[in-house]
Amino acid sequence: MAEAFEPKIIAFLCNWCSYAGADNAGVARMESPPNILPIRVMCSGRVSPEMILRAFRAGADGVLVLGCHIGECHYISGNHRTAKRIPLLRKLLSYVGINPERLRLDWVSSAEAPKFVRVTKEFVETIRALGPIERELNLKKE
Amino acid sequence: MTRKDEILEAIRAHIAEKLPELDGVIGLRRTQEGTAPYLFRQGDDLSELALEPRYPLAPIVSLLQRHYPEARFGIVARGCDIRALVEMAKRNQVNPDRLYILGVACTAEEAEECHCSEPAPAQMNQFSGKAFGEPVPGASPHPLVAEYEKIPREERWAFWQKQFAKCIKCYGCRNICPECFCEACALEDPLWVEPGVLAPPFPMFHLIRALHMATRCVLCRQCELTCPAHIPLTVLYELMRQDVKELLGYEPGADLEAAPPLSLTLAEV
Amino acid sequence: MEYKNVLTVCPYCGAGCGLYIQVLDGKIVGVLPAKEHPVSRGKLCIKGWNATAFVNHPDRLKKPLIREGDRFREASWDEALGLVADKLLQIRDTYGPQAIGFLCSAKCTNEENYLLQKLARSLFKTNNIDHCARL
Repeated sequence: MAEAFEPKIIAFLCNWCSYAGADNAGVARMESPPNILPIRVMCSGRVSPEMILRAFRAGADGVLVLGCHIGECHYISGNHRTAKRIPLLRKLLSYVGINPERLRLDWVSSAEAPKFVRVTKEFVETIRALGPIERELNLKKE
Repeated sequence: MTRKDEILEAIRAHIAEKLPELDGVIGLRRTQEGTAPYLFRQGDDLSELALEPRYPLAPIVSLLQRHYPEARFGIVARGCDIRALVEMAKRNQVNPDRLYILGVACTAEEAEECHCSEPAPAQMNQFSGKAFGEPVPGASPHPLVAEYEKIPREERWAFWQKQFAKCIKCYGCRNICPECFCEACALEDPLWVEPGVLAPPFPMFHLIRALHMATRCVLCRQCELTCPAHIPLTVLYELMRQDVKELLGYEPGADLEAAPPLSLTLAEV
Repeated sequence: MEYKNVLTVCPYCGAGCGLYIQVLDGKIVGVLPAKEHPVSRGKLCIKGWNATAFVNHPDRLKKPLIREGDRFREASWDEALGLVADKLLQIRDTYGPQAIGFLCSAKCTNEENYLLQKLARSLFKTNNIDHCARL
């Protein structure tokens, strides 16, 4: 019997907003999908394209980058860099044959625990519909 | 005399005229053993000046200015050299105020070979200098780039896998690129690019390079020319350039005053 | 102030790719592939791109060194070569010619490599000779 596909998703969460939001969701006993592997970074601007590509290489079916809302970045302009970088990386992914929907950028503040839950649930379902990344890459998972 | 010879004569005469007030002029020197970049100084034989084969001359400006920050240099530059200088100047690799440009227009054949959309020293109006040669219109883009939308997504990965499988990791593309001057290069970090492994299944090297070149590549095509495996690298870089224009409103090499968008905040765009 | 490019051949393997060494005021500052070279046509492998790395490397040997216990001490060429000759003959006489291997180098000329194999075969009577490019 075939096992249902459970997406493996790596989420880069910024320390001041989205990670705190995720933490609050947990404290409030809200259920968010277990498919998410959170990686705390100090700012979403720290998330370099190398890190995201490495996640895909390691077999992540999807990568989520969550940062502070524009104007609320703890380091003032870090999230502006992310806002520009991620769309470019999505384009590059589409040029080499990886579905750009596998990379998503969103803004979640520390007070938005319900948004964290909603975004992660949505993203898991998006990726579930897309299928495992091996389908696109003929890759073995590391 | 061919058109190229006429231009050469004119450039030589102009260099002879300008050399007394410059510390040297960077150009190509043809000797018995071959043609290579050289710094022509007062007293050198200018009949040795040549215009091809095309070497990237912009990084040489950066090198010389680093050692001689007070010097004034001239450079015999094509359109792509000048675009490269524009991008390098914005990143403090080149001092545009101490540069005198002898801009050379490419011929139609040269433009065709490079699929160049701007085979003329158009950007030199932002520097002091003089232009030589009649500009020709831009050539049609690389056939792969023009038709890229038509390639279905499933085929794209297989295509690039096949291309990148040829890579021998010579780092030639990175070494020859005028915009690659980072002292700590991500491509040399074992965290991202595994050393000692050729043709890995996931092309980290090439994807990182494509993204890092996104707001820097001026399509000089030197990377593709120096790739021993003939990988069509500039197809990816040209596609990214289009997106940078569309998403960020920025064109690398066009305007000395336009700051690179990835170091600007949204509010300033 | 002098900047020029000096045409040379990559010392590493048998292909013999042409490359230019960028020289600024007598110092090596970089490498450029030789675009007109009939063999390499403006392309280089990673060894070619780094062909000049050894020239000013801090680990580069500048004088013969003789090991004594744990340390190396400087010696003259005569002393060093004399020691090598004595020891090699000693090893050949004690353990036989097959106990010695000779490794020549892509950085040497063909003539130098020829001499080494002549030494190995004629004097030491061994066929144990090979070349760094095969390793």
